[in-house]
Amino acid sequence: MAKTMPLVGEEFVAGYRLQTEWATLIAAAFFFGKIGAGLFLMSLFTDSSVGALVGLLIVLIGKGGAHLLYLGRPERFWRALTKPGTSWVARGFWAMMVMMVSGALFLLAEPGSGVWWAAQIIAGVTAFIVAVYDGFLMNSSPSIPLWNTAMMPVLCLFYSLLGGTSLTLFLVDFGLTTVTIEETLLSNLEIILLVTNLIVVILYLLSMTNGTAAAKESLRLLLKGSFAPAFYILAIGVGLVFTLFMAYFIGVAGGAGVVALITLADLIGHYFIFFLFLRAGVYAPVLGKLTL
Amino acid sequence: MHLGMVIDLKRCVGCQACTIACKSENGTPPGVLFTKVLDQVAGEYPIVKKKFVPVLCNHCQDAPCVRVCPTGATTKREDGLVLVDHDKCVGCRACYVACPYKNRVFLKKGALKTGYFGGNQMTPFEKAKYPKWQEGTVVKCTFCVERVDQGLDPSCVQTCPADARIFGDLSDPNSKVSRLIRQRGGYQPQPENNTEPSVYYLE
Repeated sequence: MAKTMPLVGEEFVAGYRLQTEWATLIAAAFFFGKIGAGLFLMSLFTDSSVGALVGLLIVLIGKGGAHLLYLGRPERFWRALTKPGTSWVARGFWAMMVMMVSGALFLLAEPGSGVWWAAQIIAGVTAFIVAVYDGFLMNSSPSIPLWNTAMMPVLCLFYSLLGGTSLTLFLVDFGLTTVTIEETLLSNLEIILLVTNLIVVILYLLSMTNGTAAAKESLRLLLKGSFAPAFYILAIGVGLVFTLFMAYFIGVAGGAGVVALITLADLIGHYFIFFLFLRAGVYAPVLGKLTL
Repeated sequence: MHLGMVIDLKRCVGCQACTIACKSENGTPPGVLFTKVLDQVAGEYPIVKKKFVPVLCNHCQDAPCVRVCPTGATTKREDGLVLVDHDKCVGCRACYVACPYKNRVFLKKGALKTGYFGGNQMTPFEKAKYPKWQEGTVVKCTFCVERVDQGLDPSCVQTCPADARIFGDLSDPNSKVSRLIRQRGGYQPQPENNTEPSVYYLE
């Protein structure tokens, strides 16, 4: 369908319509879920119990809190566990619950014991699901072509790992935890993930150029429309380019202040890229071109 | 039985009588519309014509809203009607986002506190109708399920002065809706989404 119709609001006119329901709070929930799960996964990799604890708390308080604030009927939140067979919301909720329980067991159990190993594996798998399920949730909306792509879970995974790596470096540089691998290795991993994320974002946007008219309208909004300033400055400029520049040319050698700045810039970019992807979601008109 | 609707765009005059009938039947709060008629331009300049496109929940047979609902609040009946159990809805709006036709409405906090005339005063009609809704939940067209269960047509169908909306059993090849779809080449909105809508349009 060629884009011959306007972008409209709630007026009684046929056209492309913006997605408006999932915005600030859902973006916050996705953001906290990804960085918390990423930090937890990185903590398993670097053997940092403080990192694992902080990761769990970010998911529980940040993600859980944002979801509860967003729900129309938060007192019924438990009902969202009902249908994991078909609903990614339910699957994500289940993964989050199991991650909390197994993560707590992992932190409390005797290191090296059977319970410790089992809890570590279960918590790791469920943290991975928490990191990527947002992508599947958005991908499962046939209505919004910008989200309905297999690249969305990939984007979520890489952003989650990047957020986790940045936060691990932050905790290490501020003396809040120790890790079993070299800090320079973590720093190099962050640079690799920043480059990877930049490539994945570019590929994501390129894939939209071959999409439907609604996908192209979303792309126009992101790259040339009302969301373009925030996209270029916050999501790409601060979140990836500035972070990459700082991490590559200064990095951990710059001390805790620089690492804090890199982490902050990374997190700002992380929040805004998904917030903008949510906001730029466009529905196609109900009917295509009508005949005379 | 597979209940569905056929909308004849040639007949629709854009009077919005269906919109008003729906609001009257359902007693929805201000700003909440289960059906409405959109203006759309057909053709290209200089040969153009204004057409009217009534929209409502399509009661899809493979409804994304049913799939994505985490609580089972949105269900599909055997006769094809997609309904929302407001007692089960948590207001996550996954269904709202997943609906390709954007035909769901979220009742925000406070939506049922003020009527059409403001000032926290509600008319007897609003007082009678509002208790069936719940704030913080998602609502949508039910094809006037209470009327359908009594063997009546949905309110919008009954009201349409141009006979542009026809309601019936899509699974019966001899029903008026099936014959119209067959004879006039009725088509579903956005078939590329594979949601199998129960609403067909005729041009």
